[in-house]
Amino acid sequence: MNTKTIDSGVFYGMLRAGSARLGANKTTVNDLNVFPIPDGDTGDNMFMTIDSGVKSASGLKGAGLGELASAASKGMLLGARGNSGVILSRIFAGIARGLDGLDTADVAAFDHAMQCAVEESYNAVSNPVEGTILTVLKDSVAKAGKSGADSLEGYFGALLPEMEASLERTPDLLPVLKEAGVVDSGGSGLLCIAQGMSDALEGKAAEDGEEPLPAAGRTHAVNLDAFGPDSELGFGYCTEFLLRLQTSKVDLTTFDVNVIKDYLDSVGESVVCFREGSIVKVHVHTRKPGDILNKCQTWGEYLTLKIENMTLQHEEIIKREAASEEEAPAVLKKIRKPLAIVTVASGEGLAAALREAGADEVVEGGQTMNPSAAAFIEAFDRLDAENILVFPNNSNIILTAQQAAELYDKSRVAVVPTRNFGSGYVGIASVDHGCKDLQTLAEAAAEAAGSVVTGLVSKAIRDTLKDGVDVHEGDYVGFSGSEMLADSPVRSEAALALCEAIGAAEHDVVLVFAGSDVDGDESEALARELGKKYRRTEFIMNAGGQPVYDYIFVLC
Amino acid sequence: MTPRTAAKYGYRLISMPYSIDGVTYYPYKDTDEEFDFHGYYEKLRDGVLPTTSAISEQQYIEYFEPEFAAGNDILYVHFSAAMTMTFDAMHKALKTLAEKYPDRKFYEIDTKGISIIGFAIANEVGEMVLAGKTVEEILKWAETEVDHYAVYFFADNLKFFRRSGRVSGLAATMGGLIGLRPIIFMNAEGKMVSIGTEKGRAKAMERLANTAVEIGDDVPSYKVYIAQADCPDLAEQVAELLQERFGGKLDIDIEYVNPTAGAHCGPDSMGVCFHSKRR
Repeated sequence: MNTKTIDSGVFYGMLRAGSARLGANKTTVNDLNVFPIPDGDTGDNMFMTIDSGVKSASGLKGAGLGELASAASKGMLLGARGNSGVILSRIFAGIARGLDGLDTADVAAFDHAMQCAVEESYNAVSNPVEGTILTVLKDSVAKAGKSGADSLEGYFGALLPEMEASLERTPDLLPVLKEAGVVDSGGSGLLCIAQGMSDALEGKAAEDGEEPLPAAGRTHAVNLDAFGPDSELGFGYCTEFLLRLQTSKVDLTTFDVNVIKDYLDSVGESVVCFREGSIVKVHVHTRKPGDILNKCQTWGEYLTLKIENMTLQHEEIIKREAASEEEAPAVLKKIRKPLAIVTVASGEGLAAALREAGADEVVEGGQTMNPSAAAFIEAFDRLDAENILVFPNNSNIILTAQQAAELYDKSRVAVVPTRNFGSGYVGIASVDHGCKDLQTLAEAAAEAAGSVVTGLVSKAIRDTLKDGVDVHEGDYVGFSGSEMLADSPVRSEAALALCEAIGAAEHDVVLVFAGSDVDGDESEALARELGKKYRRTEFIMNAGGQPVYDYIFVLC
Repeated sequence: MTPRTAAKYGYRLISMPYSIDGVTYYPYKDTDEEFDFHGYYEKLRDGVLPTTSAISEQQYIEYFEPEFAAGNDILYVHFSAAMTMTFDAMHKALKTLAEKYPDRKFYEIDTKGISIIGFAIANEVGEMVLAGKTVEEILKWAETEVDHYAVYFFADNLKFFRRSGRVSGLAATMGGLIGLRPIIFMNAEGKMVSIGTEKGRAKAMERLANTAVEIGDDVPSYKVYIAQADCPDLAEQVAELLQERFGGKLDIDIEYVNPTAGAHCGPDSMGVCFHSKRR
């Protein structure tokens, strides 16, 4: 055969044969699943995806090639399952884009469409990983494009050997494959499809009868007991949905799907997200699918939804594999919190304030009791986060925190060298949880914390003369750093004098943390007084509940 | 827009509901002039989080049909369609009614704002109605003028906007705890966008006043509106800042943020609406 151009009929036959070939080999592809990937078996997922495309296109065999390719692509979009299925649907979306508006395609046009497929598939994935279906497609399309083939058979003649070769190379690119001694399953599924398509061109595929393909889908017996009352949600939920963007919520002409993609990246893993017209397809692994669903509903409404507990399926697969093999490779990555914050405080009151500002772990410690590096490391372990920011809040603790950060290799850790509670609080509250770069975060937090001035009010325990201030036992004293600034038998008077001395007027915002001995009426009266005296400064009163210091003033 | 202003212009009000603890309220609907704004915002300060909802096709029919049945056409001046699903229901209602009343006409002006922009524009439209302008003249005015009413505002506590998720560009910080106030405006699409933060309330208020100077267009010739969510003292301060900048020549109207919009911005939020070169 020497096919110079293909039309919709030929292309439909190719699709159908590709689907059939994958259908016949899907168990083999499934067996390549080294990842105990809970979002289904790759062979099944890819087969259900392409099968859905074939069904959508079946009525259009007499239409233009572009039209049929587009229908197939839409069908795959709606039917896409799992990561590989989603990527496969993108490959065909790329092909459809390349063939758009054409009635027939010659070798050059088909090659162009395949290049669109490469582009589209890479764009669909937030962090493209080499050694997967993506690489297999890219390598083979590059080779076939350069082959100079003048027939479609010739094109596939160049494509298929490189696809096989690239597939063989995947373990060199992806260590988990090497470890398990297999090639990439998605790439292998893609090869099956390409072989089927080539067979159709060569006339080797079964005649295009109207009998239906084997029904897609399988019943997946899940043992619910695998996730008991005490089980840990180690792997989160595989969450997939189709979202129809709503004109009442977004402007379809200007809406950038990266808004959704960026959001998903900040809260989940294995993100695949792309848009087709007004439909957005999402695949994400997350611990909190509800949060994602609520958020995404601000952009549209759901067409389909699937949420599966991956821990449950993981247990299942481990069991299944353990039955046949000695040991199952534990390669599934746990979903970790993208960013966690560790800080130091003594006393529950200030610890609670720091938690409210965004701290995930508050290590007990302070001036009199410096925590050890081990205490930090235990906190890091409890958090199990990709990135950790540490706010030590005391000059004697900064080095320990830095040492702990250096010793720790399970997360990226950066220390923001805060020297007191106030700068720690301001630094933590200013962390932008939408930012993913730890260094940028650490620098921004250090800058926010750096300009902070702290003043303290406490009760004097003996008479003394310090920095020109005559201090009487039992009086309230106001000081900043080691400098004594105010003394008064009345607590609020000491506080007012202290604010004056540390220059509250020059700051836009002053945070006030009232200690455990100060009742709400007194602190509110002080806040009113301060508000009247300093019209341009905003005083934010908090019940800090700390011992020893009746008031902590944080000027920022 | 309260029932009193509505009566002045002969408007019929369509009430957008809010709910607290499962009970839905339709503000102003019973021509309740004395809505207890302070009591409402005090509840929000005490931790109550009201929800808001769209109104249904049936409700729209109930609002529109008596007018069509009486042989009237309708001009609907409404808040930003980009912020809500409500207008889907409105369009469905109109489709249903069009079959029954094929000769009646429906016009709409999307103010591309909520609360105070809507109020400012509805007032202007009302004045034109009183002056005997035709609907064509009013629509022509709206076509160009809607984009010349800008609103800039800030919220005191971001938990309300965070929950409603209707502001884009908000940094994911706890900056509210340390007095950072995102400055938000309604863009030309009728959506809320944050354009950076100011540290402390005083600076935030100055930013609002300065923005009126920067992008204002012949501000003293038009009424300036200040919206406040139960913080009249702050509104007075902003009014002072504005008068300082415009030589005391402004006609300033200070109004409460309606409870439904207030459910999204929270108490002690405030904004300034003025005639501007752009949104």
